[in-house]
Amino acid sequence: MLVTFYLNNVRVSYDVRPDEYLAETLRSHGVKSVKVGCNETSCGSCTVLLENRPAMSCGILSASIEGKHITTVEGIQEEAARIAYFFGEEGADQCGFCNAGYALTIYALKRELKNPTDDEIKDYIVGNLCRCSGMQSQLNAIKAYLKEE
Amino acid sequence: MTYDKKKFRVVNHKTHSIDGVGLMQGRSFYTDDLAEQNSLVIKILRSPHAFAHIKSIDVSEAQKLNGVALVLTYKDVPHVSFSRAGQGYPEPSPHDKFILDEYVRYVGDEVAMVAAIDERTAEEALKLIKVEYEVLEPVLDFETAFENKSVIHPEDGICEMFPIGFDPKKNVAASYEMEVGNVEEELKKSDVIVDETFYSQAQAHAMLETHSSNARLDEHNRLVIYSSTQTPFHMRRIMATTLGLPVSKIRFIKPRVGGGFGGKQAFHGEFFCALTTLRTGKPSKMVYTREEVFGASYTRHPMRIRMRIGAMKDGRINAIDCRSLSDTGAYGEHSLTVFMIVGSKVLPLYNKVDAVKFGGQVVYTNHVPAGAYRGYGAIQGNYALEATIDILAEKLGMNPKEIREKNSMREKETSPIFEIMGEGTKGTAMIMESCKLPYCIKRGAELINWKENWPRKVVGENKVRGYGMAIAMQGSGIPFMDMGSCTIKLNDGGSFNVLVGATDIGQGSDTLIAKIVAEELEVPLEDILVYSSDTDLTPFDCGAYASSTTYISGNAAWKAAQKMRARLIKEAAAFLGVKEDDVEFDGKLFTAKDKHVSLYDLSVQWLYNKDLHQVSVTESYFGHVSPPPFMAAYAEVEVDLETGEYEILNYVTVTDSGTTINPMLARGQVEGGVVQGLGMACFEDVKYDKKGNLLSNNFLSYHIPTHKEIHKLTSEFADSYEPTGPFGAKSVGEIGIDTPPAVICNAIYNATGVRVHTLPITPEKILKGLKELKK
Amino acid sequence: MIVNKYYRASSLEDAYSKLQENPRNTILGGGLWLKKIGQSHETLIDISSLGLNEIKDSKNEVVVGSMVSQRDFENSPVVKALFNDAIAFSTREVMGVNFRNLATIGGSIMGRYPFSDVITGLLPYDVELEFYPKQTMFLEDYLSYKGKLNAILVAIHIKKGQGKGFYKKVKTTALDFPIVNIAVSRVNGQYRIAVGARPAVASLALKAMEYINSLKNPSKEDFAKAAEMAVEELSFLDNKDASKEYRIDLAKVYVRRGLEEVNK
Repeated sequence: MLVTFYLNNVRVSYDVRPDEYLAETLRSHGVKSVKVGCNETSCGSCTVLLENRPAMSCGILSASIEGKHITTVEGIQEEAARIAYFFGEEGADQCGFCNAGYALTIYALKRELKNPTDDEIKDYIVGNLCRCSGMQSQLNAIKAYLKEE
Repeated sequence: MTYDKKKFRVVNHKTHSIDGVGLMQGRSFYTDDLAEQNSLVIKILRSPHAFAHIKSIDVSEAQKLNGVALVLTYKDVPHVSFSRAGQGYPEPSPHDKFILDEYVRYVGDEVAMVAAIDERTAEEALKLIKVEYEVLEPVLDFETAFENKSVIHPEDGICEMFPIGFDPKKNVAASYEMEVGNVEEELKKSDVIVDETFYSQAQAHAMLETHSSNARLDEHNRLVIYSSTQTPFHMRRIMATTLGLPVSKIRFIKPRVGGGFGGKQAFHGEFFCALTTLRTGKPSKMVYTREEVFGASYTRHPMRIRMRIGAMKDGRINAIDCRSLSDTGAYGEHSLTVFMIVGSKVLPLYNKVDAVKFGGQVVYTNHVPAGAYRGYGAIQGNYALEATIDILAEKLGMNPKEIREKNSMREKETSPIFEIMGEGTKGTAMIMESCKLPYCIKRGAELINWKENWPRKVVGENKVRGYGMAIAMQGSGIPFMDMGSCTIKLNDGGSFNVLVGATDIGQGSDTLIAKIVAEELEVPLEDILVYSSDTDLTPFDCGAYASSTTYISGNAAWKAAQKMRARLIKEAAAFLGVKEDDVEFDGKLFTAKDKHVSLYDLSVQWLYNKDLHQVSVTESYFGHVSPPPFMAAYAEVEVDLETGEYEILNYVTVTDSGTTINPMLARGQVEGGVVQGLGMACFEDVKYDKKGNLLSNNFLSYHIPTHKEIHKLTSEFADSYEPTGPFGAKSVGEIGIDTPPAVICNAIYNATGVRVHTLPITPEKILKGLKELKK
Repeated sequence: MIVNKYYRASSLEDAYSKLQENPRNTILGGGLWLKKIGQSHETLIDISSLGLNEIKDSKNEVVVGSMVSQRDFENSPVVKALFNDAIAFSTREVMGVNFRNLATIGGSIMGRYPFSDVITGLLPYDVELEFYPKQTMFLEDYLSYKGKLNAILVAIHIKKGQGKGFYKKVKTTALDFPIVNIAVSRVNGQYRIAVGARPAVASLALKAMEYINSLKNPSKEDFAKAAEMAVEELSFLDNKDASKEYRIDLAKVYVRRGLEEVNK
């Protein structure tokens, strides 16, 4: 079946199966920044923005996003570079597999929560697993990014 | 030569990862991102039984399905035994695996392979394969494996490459014994003896990128394999031998890897991609599901470790006896080497003993196989040793910090164990040229306020805080066995390609190598262009394991950079018509008194104008010693005495890893290791049902630490310089993971009086212990 | 999971008639557990454009559309205002934000998942479920309803009242299912106690509630006794996450603490 939606503000129409999830749709159309770490909505590597809100694309049925806006990291390249700067400052980057998903979650966090507490930040990002870092460096990087005007 | 750290420009200074921005922006260079668009998709039919013999297998229906390109069973693959483990040659692991076999030895073991035009077709085809199994009695308790009437490897054609104690008819994959002095005699002299047994679980690596590989034939009809691997050169060798191909016909490329932690130090799917592409001529790919990573790759070796330690009344430890039993599951990857490290990288911590003994067996069971995992052997041994040391301290009425200070390794000391025990073979004697362990212990105690806080503080009606500590050591590569190499090539404009076999698996080795080269050549970091791990293009490297990258590959890069520097100066001297000794190079200009020429001009001229030639150098390095990094770790936990639940409020580490080439990444390695170790200590429980089905096989049932569990990490480094390391560096990749099981065990004991002897240390076990104490 | 057709319903009536067409047709909630459970379906019926994603506030109740996402639910000032944020708090304990933006309140309830934080969190309050075709049912009755209800959940009606609530999810890590979860309320002077993930789906501890509500000024000891009664009347079992005994110990402690907390 055909589904039409906005991918990084570009209108696209893809032929999808009724049981196809968005992570598969995006990757099969060359959007390889969307990483599949578990394919069962547990790890957050495949996070995209659905109508500007972070959501795991392995949990979004492609057929369900008719007319909606999807943002991948390709849609926030400059902000991703800013976030990378703060990750670099804290030494929070390692293997990078979770990073694109993190970037989208952090980007949305900055726009959704004003002056969040540490606990609110943690709650916002807890659905993005990382096995490399010790978490603390990421938290510090995110806090520094949030402070930036 | 000892360098003055203050003079470093790049090394030991904070720099961002050279690939940090690109990765955050989602650049697609992981294995599956690079698969050919129309690759055949490979899926595996996996055993539903823990142990069975395939009586018959009928794939005719699967082969008939539209879109199925190839179906393979054990009848269709070379019957050549090998070890999946990516290790040096000859491998110290038993050759006990076939690409496909007529026996299946754990739930999840490979029965048949399907390659089809897409995933759904491949999955449909799997359902059409009819298998008749003769179900055999499995061994699911590793303490009953030895000489069990069920023999897990009854087949012919399996072997050891050199004596490793391999005795498959008794379910023994490997065994080892060693003794220094006479432990029984010394224990008789001890004033106090403690005798404790600990159990550790089959921790899962849980790297975010699942095992992935893909294959294609290039225009020379050579097999090109992209693989998410830590050991591309070992893979090439093992695949060539097993498939009967010349090494020259295979090219392994390691793209960006999404985490390894030892889990990618072995074959996962590469053989199936190779066979599919060789037989169909078409590109193919295989990506493990998360469930397959948990249930059909490999885990940490679960162990039972019995520690007997004797000491004199004054607190001097005089004898240690360590007996271990290790469960390697269905196959023996890394069985001996992991096992030996329980002794070799743990027991030398207390080097003032009169006698020390280590030994035991690695047994086969019908569990998911065990293999390499960050801190292998060391974390299991550290848990048993360091918890037992606390028990001994209490018996002696000593502060746990004091007993460690009195007995542990110091600078310029050694242990006889270094010479006796190596990686599957004899070891190498060495003196600790750098060991700031006493400082680490002292500084860590200050950071946790040990003096005031130890052992516990009551903070509420049912809330108690407990404080625990442990010390640890690791190694830096395997002497005389691990080799790394580096080629540096000058480009016009003055940038340098640095080609290394060293395998960046996310730990940041590309950045680390760039920094070492930039420091030596005095050029800007952005002029160093690192390309790593492609068996056609880069020189050899053993791979990323055994904490070898900084020390071995880093030394190779340093040597190459030194050679490049000397070469440039020599050529510049000739150009300027002066003596080499008179030339100074600051990264941009070659200056000799009143004459000068820029690197930029020379580099352009050599390629385009005059005296045309390519300037390039290659160097390699292997270790003659394996200088251990050291660590002291402390934790503060808060326990709810009514429920056993606890929070880790602060985890303090002070590490001696020599010079930290990249201080931020070194901290990242330590903290990442600590959190993985905390996962093993506290959360990551492995559950099987009675039939051998792994129940903890996804992220909802296997719990790795998240942001909400980590409250505070306090991480410092000792000022230390290892004279044999690159710019004074030692390893840092594994040491972080070693301490948490013992530290948390000790902290929980100090808070509650409950000693948990089985990992993970769950609230349920603590509460059970508290109830028993009340009785 | 294999699904043959995807159907975007134009009205509740349309969705309902599609649902009747084939027993293998199903209403799509958030679509998360659908995949995990892996059951195949003939047609997925999408009801996301039927205006069921609103939260309405009135004098006596809050009405939550079944397609409201868990994230919108927990962030709603109207929901937060209920019983000192106790209900919204329970939803926040589910996975991460990138999950809760997809998961729907209706999906969580209709699935009657034993591990549900949403169900346990709502159970100690006066919660009625509104279905199409027109039918209402108390949450506790739906939980004990035998078989599959052939109706579409439209909205959840949460009755307002004076008082506060307590919620505790005992877990290994933040992304874990509960080992056991406990919700206690005191609304308009009446205590209610719910315990879920035992590992069975949440139940009210009716005897314990009756006992504690019969007392005028219950003491600490009375709360402890009520907690004892609660674990006695409810069934607990072993599973891979915890033993029966440990679940009982936890429930006892947290029911007591919950009662003390809501009494403050």
